[in-house]
Amino acid sequence: MNALKETEQVGVRTASVKVVTSRTSRMTLRRKEILTAFLSLLPAFFLIAALMWYPLATAVYHSFTQWDGLNTTWIGLRNYIDIFTSGQLWLLLRNNFIFLLSIPGILIISLIVSVLLFEEVPGWKFFRSVYYLPTILSAVVVGFLMQALFSSEGAVNEALKAIGLGALAQPWINAAPTAFLVLILAFYWQTLGQGVLIFLSGLSAISTELIEAARIDGASWWQRLFRVIFPLLAPAISYFMVTNIIYIFIGLFALVYSITRGGPGYETTPIDYMIYIKAFEAGDLGYASALSVILLILVSAVCWLQVKALDTMAAD
Amino acid sequence: MRKSIALLTRGVIIGILAIFAAAAIYPVLFMLLSSFKTSVQYTNDPLSLPPGFSYIQNFVAMYNDFNLPGLLLNTVTYIALAAFVSLAVSIPASYALAKLRFPLRNLFFLFIIASMVIPAITFIIPDYVLMSNLNLVDTLWSVVLLWAATSVPGSVFLLTSLMRGLPDEILEATRVDGANYLQLMLRIIIPISTPGIITITIFNVTAWWNDLLIPLVFLQSDANKTLTVAVATIVGRFNTDYPLLLTGLLMASLPPILIYVFLQRYIRRGLVIGAIK
Repeated sequence: MNALKETEQVGVRTASVKVVTSRTSRMTLRRKEILTAFLSLLPAFFLIAALMWYPLATAVYHSFTQWDGLNTTWIGLRNYIDIFTSGQLWLLLRNNFIFLLSIPGILIISLIVSVLLFEEVPGWKFFRSVYYLPTILSAVVVGFLMQALFSSEGAVNEALKAIGLGALAQPWINAAPTAFLVLILAFYWQTLGQGVLIFLSGLSAISTELIEAARIDGASWWQRLFRVIFPLLAPAISYFMVTNIIYIFIGLFALVYSITRGGPGYETTPIDYMIYIKAFEAGDLGYASALSVILLILVSAVCWLQVKALDTMAAD
Repeated sequence: MRKSIALLTRGVIIGILAIFAAAAIYPVLFMLLSSFKTSVQYTNDPLSLPPGFSYIQNFVAMYNDFNLPGLLLNTVTYIALAAFVSLAVSIPASYALAKLRFPLRNLFFLFIIASMVIPAITFIIPDYVLMSNLNLVDTLWSVVLLWAATSVPGSVFLLTSLMRGLPDEILEATRVDGANYLQLMLRIIIPISTPGIITITIFNVTAWWNDLLIPLVFLQSDANKTLTVAVATIVGRFNTDYPLLLTGLLMASLPPILIYVFLQRYIRRGLVIGAIK
């Protein structure tokens, strides 16, 4: 009896000891986990902070100064006042806006091509590869290629002359409306492959039973397209729109650089290209910083609107 | 009757697809055919086929002036280093954000993800000043570090969402076995995340290959340039001699076209992952 009690007590005692040790080891484990986490994060955090956030903060500060890279003079809001009152900002915004308006066009073309490809007519895999070909070329190559095609003595003008439309032949890149046309064409040419890629994978995710069921219910091809396929493609469509709207604000640099250099004058200069001109050609780093702050606000606003729109769509 | 209508529809579909295909491929063919022409032949008639494919003077001239192997080596070196740095910092960070519990985790995640929307042009000016103070302008490190830094937010975003799916039991078992951090990374985290790592690497490499802004700003001497910058600056100098220019464009396009032909399936799958989620 006594012996039993004793062993019981010993058992209780060892149990309580166990609880204590496991608690302390859990504490050190927890501390170790936190330490591991911070050490794992540190390099990534440092790289982003040092090369993105700290420079961004410097750019915001320098947007209120006159700055040539060495000397800084505080001039308050003068850069911003210059930007807003000189009319230049509205020209730049107009240029970005024109590109923005061209996005639905390539969206529709990509959708049509994807839906037709999805019918899997003979040779559709070959067509798919061909559409993707321009997307592999870098934007600079695409730009120079378009410039060669649309130059005064280039293939487009010669082709127009050959089919008796010589009156339409013109120096495309030297006037603003046609220069935009060439830029947008280059943008379309490069984006078709991306659009087809996205929408085809979206289409293949739609279950064939659903389409089959609609067909059995007597829905025509068009009804199936608008009532079944397009609504189910909504996530892919919004992904395509988001990436391309952001591209219009921050990705046009290479195309503009290689096709028009922003000309004639500043007629085809989007905001990001103007920042480059002001900073690295004119050396006016303060002004360029102020413009980049405005661009950042614009891009953040666009992203915020996109997130909002996606949220309401998800809620529906 | 119905059969013939179906056949007709298919014919129309093929016709429309073929028109778009012609539009997509014509400029590439134009580039290829023009590079076998002399300047005079091109000026007389840019549309015609070249008289033959024996005139390779453009390729010889471009090869001599343009140093394609050297530029390609530069580009591949920078991209490889940037990919290594980017993954070396993104994988541990993603692991911590996905699998470890620590204070302010969501705040750190938000900080990294928010960096995705900052356009490069907004921080490139102070970075240029910073790099020139560190004497890194016109060296490969300026480009490698900036490429790596700008790729981290997107990489962490993708890898974190994939690593959240890692079963905790496996991580726990490895820890009980007494594996240290490095072993955990090399034996468990990296092997299981390989598909995500390949996807994000394809995505980053494509972006770097195409990037003009960062290498254009930071690399100044011709010998250090990437292929894309060389096309923009060196080849652009020949824009009075279009066949020569087009030959340069063609030579610069061959590496990505070849890579695409061989890795087609992986590239296509990799680029689409964000779209269907």
